[in-house]
Amino acid sequence: MDSEEKKKALELLDNLRYDKYPLPDERYKYIGKRDVRRLDGLEKATGLANYTMDVQIPGMLFMRFLTSPYPHAEIKGMDTSAVDKFPGVRGILRYDDPEVQEREDLGGHGVSSRFPVPKVAHFQGEEVGLAVVADTEDIAEEALRLAKVEWEQRPFLLDPVEALNPAAPPANPEDFPNGNLEAVYESGRGDVNKGFQESDVVFEFASKRSQHTYISPERPCGVWRWNGQYPELWVKQQRPHIVKRAVSSWFGGIPMNRIQLHILYQGASFGGWSQFGWNLAGHYCAAIFARRTLRPVKWTFTRREDFYGGSMDEGVHHYKVGAKKDGTILAVRAETVYANPMWGGQGPTLHLEECTKIPHIYGKRTLAIVNRGPNTAVRCEQLPNCHTLTLVFDHVAAQLGMDPIEVALKNDGVHGNSIDWARKEKRALGFPETDSLRTCIEKGKTAIQWDAKWHPPGAKRMPNGHFHGIGFTWNHEWEDSAGSGEIAMRLERNDGTLSILGMRCDNGVNAESAYCQIAADEIGMKIEDVFYRPHIDPGFFTMTPDSSTNMSVNGFAVRHAARMLKEKILSAATRPRAVTQRGSYPPFFQNMKPVDLDIKDSTIFAKSDPSKKLSLAELVGPSGDEGPLAFYELYGTERTAFSEPLFSHSYHVQVGAYRGGIRPRFIRQAHFMEVEVCPRTGQIFITKVINVNDVGKAINPMACEGQMYGGTYMGIGRAMWEEVVHDPITGVMLNGNLLDYKIATIEDCGPIDTILLESKLGFGPYGLTGIGEDVATMIPALLGPAVYNAIGVWIDDYPITPERILKALAKAQREGS
Amino acid sequence: MKTFAHFNAASIDEAVDLLKRYAGKASLIAGGTDLLGKMKDRILPSYPEALINLKTIPGLDGIRIEKDSVKIGSLTKLEDVARHPVVQKEYAALGQAARNTASPHLREMGTLGGNICQDVRCWYYRNPDNRFPCLRKGGGRCYAINGDNRYHSIFGGSVTEGCYAVHPSDTAPALTVLGATIRTSKRTIPIENFFSVDIIQTTVLDRDEIVTDIILPRLPEITKSRFFKFALRKSIDFPIVNCAVSLALKEKQAVSCKICLNSVFVKPYRPTHAEKLLEGKEINEDIAEAVADAAVSNAKPLHHNAYMVPIAKELTKSAILACA
Repeated sequence: MDSEEKKKALELLDNLRYDKYPLPDERYKYIGKRDVRRLDGLEKATGLANYTMDVQIPGMLFMRFLTSPYPHAEIKGMDTSAVDKFPGVRGILRYDDPEVQEREDLGGHGVSSRFPVPKVAHFQGEEVGLAVVADTEDIAEEALRLAKVEWEQRPFLLDPVEALNPAAPPANPEDFPNGNLEAVYESGRGDVNKGFQESDVVFEFASKRSQHTYISPERPCGVWRWNGQYPELWVKQQRPHIVKRAVSSWFGGIPMNRIQLHILYQGASFGGWSQFGWNLAGHYCAAIFARRTLRPVKWTFTRREDFYGGSMDEGVHHYKVGAKKDGTILAVRAETVYANPMWGGQGPTLHLEECTKIPHIYGKRTLAIVNRGPNTAVRCEQLPNCHTLTLVFDHVAAQLGMDPIEVALKNDGVHGNSIDWARKEKRALGFPETDSLRTCIEKGKTAIQWDAKWHPPGAKRMPNGHFHGIGFTWNHEWEDSAGSGEIAMRLERNDGTLSILGMRCDNGVNAESAYCQIAADEIGMKIEDVFYRPHIDPGFFTMTPDSSTNMSVNGFAVRHAARMLKEKILSAATRPRAVTQRGSYPPFFQNMKPVDLDIKDSTIFAKSDPSKKLSLAELVGPSGDEGPLAFYELYGTERTAFSEPLFSHSYHVQVGAYRGGIRPRFIRQAHFMEVEVCPRTGQIFITKVINVNDVGKAINPMACEGQMYGGTYMGIGRAMWEEVVHDPITGVMLNGNLLDYKIATIEDCGPIDTILLESKLGFGPYGLTGIGEDVATMIPALLGPAVYNAIGVWIDDYPITPERILKALAKAQREGS
Repeated sequence: MKTFAHFNAASIDEAVDLLKRYAGKASLIAGGTDLLGKMKDRILPSYPEALINLKTIPGLDGIRIEKDSVKIGSLTKLEDVARHPVVQKEYAALGQAARNTASPHLREMGTLGGNICQDVRCWYYRNPDNRFPCLRKGGGRCYAINGDNRYHSIFGGSVTEGCYAVHPSDTAPALTVLGATIRTSKRTIPIENFFSVDIIQTTVLDRDEIVTDIILPRLPEITKSRFFKFALRKSIDFPIVNCAVSLALKEKQAVSCKICLNSVFVKPYRPTHAEKLLEGKEINEDIAEAVADAAVSNAKPLHHNAYMVPIAKELTKSAILACA
């Protein structure tokens, strides 16, 4: 069928301008509305939602891994005779088992190549040497304790800077035989030395960020079952399509169409585990056990085992900044050392390059290997950039005694170009000419009463003796993943309801509901007639819900598919039905063309005479009713209407801005934080947070606000407390539990205001942009400027603990006196 | 978890008999909020062979108001302690301490008896699978002393060996300044003598001894008490430092004063020399500051925990001023 909508969809691939075909505003019935119920709300709120850990299959066995008690050690020998004999143990898989002697693709971002049961541990707590399968998780756990392991301990390193010392012992000679320096990346523009020479002030500072981790709501786990010779697996993952690809490479190759995948609820993943290159080792070993025992196998990690590893911003940053007296920043040099990144990640200066006009920028990141859990994209890989942007801008303001808001507005730009350039560019690309940053700032300033509250650093005390501080930062929103999303949808027989099809992991504040809103408005259906359950594998994979791309990529795919389906529906309503060799029935709407019809509230109607109407249920007819003419000839009566299957499939491709800088950043976010600091105890009280997020267009405002609230709590925990602590002497993690690793609770922050702006400056459908990562990623660094404004002393090392506050105040007092 | 025997004790005598029979290999369970975590993480070299449930013994929970005393059953839940009107009125420090312990769920599980008998929170001691076989477990050394000791003692180690773990209870310092006595299955112990700096356990209880009541004397109306807690998060966290103060005032002058800091030493820490400074004095900002200074004057912080000293001082000062 010739499809106008398909042509439009193809035209919008890699959309590099304002949405060319937005839905007219008057057709928004559910898009942007607050009364749409979350699809998963009832299940999750009542505890009825099924997670991978809930999967129970008759005869299922349980598998656990041995973990290393040492941060760097090789297994020289292992006596597992007692493990084998332990009642309830059904099998063991040792590092020297013939079936695990090859490196396999075990997941992660790209193709990884790792041993499923390694014999060398590179951090304490690493799964190593032995897997046991048993009748229960407890038995497996107990049996593992009976293994007598001969460990050869090796020297270990915890500090990335120490690891770069040429004299340092190798932290991971297996994967990095040439030393602990993994890679160096450089980026930037202009000539920073020239910039420094032209500057009125040049200053330097350093900043440290401790490792913080992800700990998703559900601990890592999975289930494997062989159906005959083909696998069926339940995965707790962020990227099910990568799982399927990796699995298909195992055991001599398994055709993709023989792999059955389920991805149930998981609450979130916060990056982390899903990104690691051996996150599928559990599945690999479970598959071997399942084959050997002819039983399904569930593998699990403990809660503690989910604490190893962290975010890619762990490390040290050295900054040199040059600026004019009026606040114009001329040059920024940022040199960083990051610990243990699983992949190259983002440099420290990318956001400065993308959303400022600073002419001279040099960023360098050095990646060092240490003996702690791997660091990866946790909550967001842009953390280093947000850290840099906030600290550089607020330090400039402090150096010059300026309001940080003025410094932001003075340097706002697009890829080195001025805001004037951006205005022209917006016009050329079909966008409104709105100044997003200025609007965000205006709204935020009013909400927090900035003009009344901002003061020079250290200048305001509260009646209770606390210092008062207020901070501001800003950025652009990013939705960067270069990737594609596929979506299909079909009208169900009998009742004409719409099923959206596409496998997707449960990340974000239930984006599925937002997809339904788009489909309902685009087709003209009632929201309750649209449903999306992304847990099964229908052969279509949405863009992974990372890098805030839920709506900017998948939103387009849903819209394309919905429009193509609507086109098919209207065509079916105007064409003869049940066309066979014997003949056909006349169309539902005779002598009409699709353009003469429309759909509203799940009912097709003639535009010229709305009383002529047909429900979608009537259009699709009952299931199993094919062959109506034969029926007529036999029985003399016409049965219910019959139409062709109504199904559509589409996709969208969006290339991120960071590949060559082809997508200018026009949309901005602003964040404000008010604090009190007790000078006697060093305690920080975050009394108010204002998030102003320009999302372009909010499809589901409550879901957006959910991200803003959740991101704030996550952010303040990371700013104030979150830190994975290792014992310096033994390299053992000390706080791998939810009591000693301190995530903020809802009581730990004052009121949070959420202000959504809709400038339509995003490259997504309807002019939207993502929101998933901005708040959680911007809030941590913002505490620094707020505390500086309070106490008048910079604390650039995070988390900002009472100890650091007290030390900084004591130092300031010494220097002052 | 490993399997273990479980007994529902019908009486204190039965529970004591079971303790004797298992000779140190059984544990008592009431709320279980401390014990079950320890068992799941296998922090000790040995694992209890039996749990003896005290919740099935009638009469161990509840608050009884008597003429000369208030008796709080050892199994009284922390939430019930916190909400009791007599506790709130006469023993404000205890009510505040109970209210500031853990989280709502844990306060509905955890008991007052369990709270004062709980084990230390040292993250070396508590590291799963007995990863650090430290002094307190009969091992060779304290791992915290050269390791990360940000939450450890600022007043030195235990008398005998040098364990720097702190006593984490919120209610213990409140009970201390309120002059509580602990009644057990075999004796009555003034709370001052209840906590031990012996390295193996936190209290002086024998292996076959069970706390039955916490008895508070009725205090003259001139006595006020307050409890302050410093923790990183506003809910759930154990204290970095806490402090309870009771103060009897007559015509604005302090007749008697008790100060107890906790989470700063192996047992609740009473700076008696500081208390004396207050006697006969009118309470004001300056004297509170001086007393608080004295309260921490013996502090010997370790490498990572000097920040606890000013916090302890500030809490002491705040608690004194709040009583005035």
